Amino acid sequence: MDLHPRTPAHSQSDLEALIPDEAELTAGVVVRPGRSYGFFTDTTLCIGCKACEVACKEWNNLPAETPALTGHSYDNTGALSASTWRHVRFVEDDVRADSQSPFQSGWLMMSDVCKHCHNAPCLEACPTGALFRTEFDTVVVQQDICNGCGYCVPACPFGVVDISTLDGKAHKCTLCYDRLKGGLEPACAKSCPTDSIQFGEVSELQQRARERLDHLHHIGRGSAYLYGAPGELGATGGLEHLNAFFLLTAEPEAYNLPRAPTRPANRVVPSLAAGLTTLAGLMVTALALFARRS
Amino acid sequence: MPDTAQWDGRTYYGRAQLKPAPFNNALVGSYVFLAGLSGAAQVLATALDYAAISDAEPVVRHGRLLSLLAPIIGTVCLICDLHTPKRFYNMLRLVKTTSPMSLGSWALVAFSGASAISAAPLLVRAGWRQDSAVAGWLQGLSRVARIPAALAGGVLATYTASLFSATSAPLWAAGAKGLAVRFAAASVASAASALRLVARSGRRRRDLDSLAVAGLAIELGATLASDHAQQQAGVRQTPSSRDIAGVAVPLVLFLASDFLPRRAQAISQVAAAAALTGSLLMRIGVIKDGEQSAAQPNVSLRLAQPDNLPRR
Repeated sequence: MDLHPRTPAHSQSDLEALIPDEAELTAGVVVRPGRSYGFFTDTTLCIGCKACEVACKEWNNLPAETPALTGHSYDNTGALSASTWRHVRFVEDDVRADSQSPFQSGWLMMSDVCKHCHNAPCLEACPTGALFRTEFDTVVVQQDICNGCGYCVPACPFGVVDISTLDGKAHKCTLCYDRLKGGLEPACAKSCPTDSIQFGEVSELQQRARERLDHLHHIGRGSAYLYGAPGELGATGGLEHLNAFFLLTAEPEAYNLPRAPTRPANRVVPSLAAGLTTLAGLMVTALALFARRS
Repeated sequence: MPDTAQWDGRTYYGRAQLKPAPFNNALVGSYVFLAGLSGAAQVLATALDYAAISDAEPVVRHGRLLSLLAPIIGTVCLICDLHTPKRFYNMLRLVKTTSPMSLGSWALVAFSGASAISAAPLLVRAGWRQDSAVAGWLQGLSRVARIPAALAGGVLATYTASLFSATSAPLWAAGAKGLAVRFAAASVASAASALRLVARSGRRRRDLDSLAVAGLAIELGATLASDHAQQQAGVRQTPSSRDIAGVAVPLVLFLASDFLPRRAQAISQVAAAAALTGSLLMRIGVIKDGEQSAAQPNVSLRLAQPDNLPRR
């Protein structure tokens, strides 16, 4: 990989201060407010090392889960939660099928994360404004405002947001809001040894993902597709696109992803209209009943 | 590309794809029930008041008093359900039209204020200083507060359905309109039943019985319709016999009272109590079902199939 021209100037291991715009050296991106940032997670490059899970917990000071074996392949994390914001899934796809060519395992790995949706259902549901869209076009819970109503939890179509029983607040990936403010690449993307997790401007990432997809199709991996890019699976039913999107090779359900999620807020007006119409109709009935015996 | 391929029912080790709402079902269910009862009672009271129907005045008075249930008890239920209750006031930081919980919080505040003012002369009359200047002043204020109280009451009696439907939980999201009709009709039926239990005039009791029957009949129809919609969406296998029974039992009892004139009053009272119980249990049951459906990946992934996308 080519080094950025600025890299040799920062070769020392003990830094006295932040490297200005460090993300430019590690991800080739300058982080500036007002632009749209996200992740492109290319599952064909994931080796299941869980460095992203560890880096996320380290940087964000998240408590460990109770260690236990789930029996679900190498996935002993289980799910995203209030204290787990990156989660590597292990899908054993036809591992024993004879049709597979030698040394080609059907072992799929995928590092899941908050999708930072457009339009974000959790944000649209939040009654306090604790969930907000940042200057980097990411979705973050303000811990000093959240009152733990829990409405963002069922709103999320991906089962990401969670209420912590430790502090009674909602928690999820912040796309390393604090690191972005300091010009750093998010911890998971920086730690990813294979660049399966790529951080950058969303439009740039979408372009890169399409090129990668063309390449994979060209070399015969016809099963590859994008999940969460505009017009693709995952960006359906009022969800325009996902800032954190994926390149997958099996059906979305294999990764526990909904094929065609919908934007919950689209159901508010039809529901209110139906309810108020019913109420109005019954009130007219009531007046007629009472007037009849007057 | 799995665009056109149909899902074969595969899940990720059977693990939940969604997170269930972290609500206390008894607290939230009680609030939804009281919000419906109070909201509908206030709307009915104001409607009867403005229609100037003779000798409906006791019903109006009871309606205004019943409307205080949601502000007094329901609000406490809601605050207790928060995971950080001391920050309850953050519900009023902003107005968000995409969030029924935000709209509902404002409706509850508006309703509490307007209902308290509309009921103030009654409380004064029941208590102290019947013909003071304060009582006259309160009477004037009460007249002004009636319309806002009824408008907020209408929202309060209905928004709870959209609160549940505007989520990703399969049994709340599928059949959103049916749930809204059920909640609205159940609100009217429970308000009529509660008013009926406290009414003293036999004639108005019969009117309230008829209104409860109308509400229950619509609720029954909407329950069957939303069951059907959920079956169509593939997220429900069998009709919910529990929800149907909760509506059918009071409905049958109300109708039976017409055929047994000598026992009519007793049967109607049992029917009204059954309607109130059924309405409360229905709300708690709907919340529980929605949460359970969210924990079942075969249900949530089924709802998220392209054939369930809204048609444009």
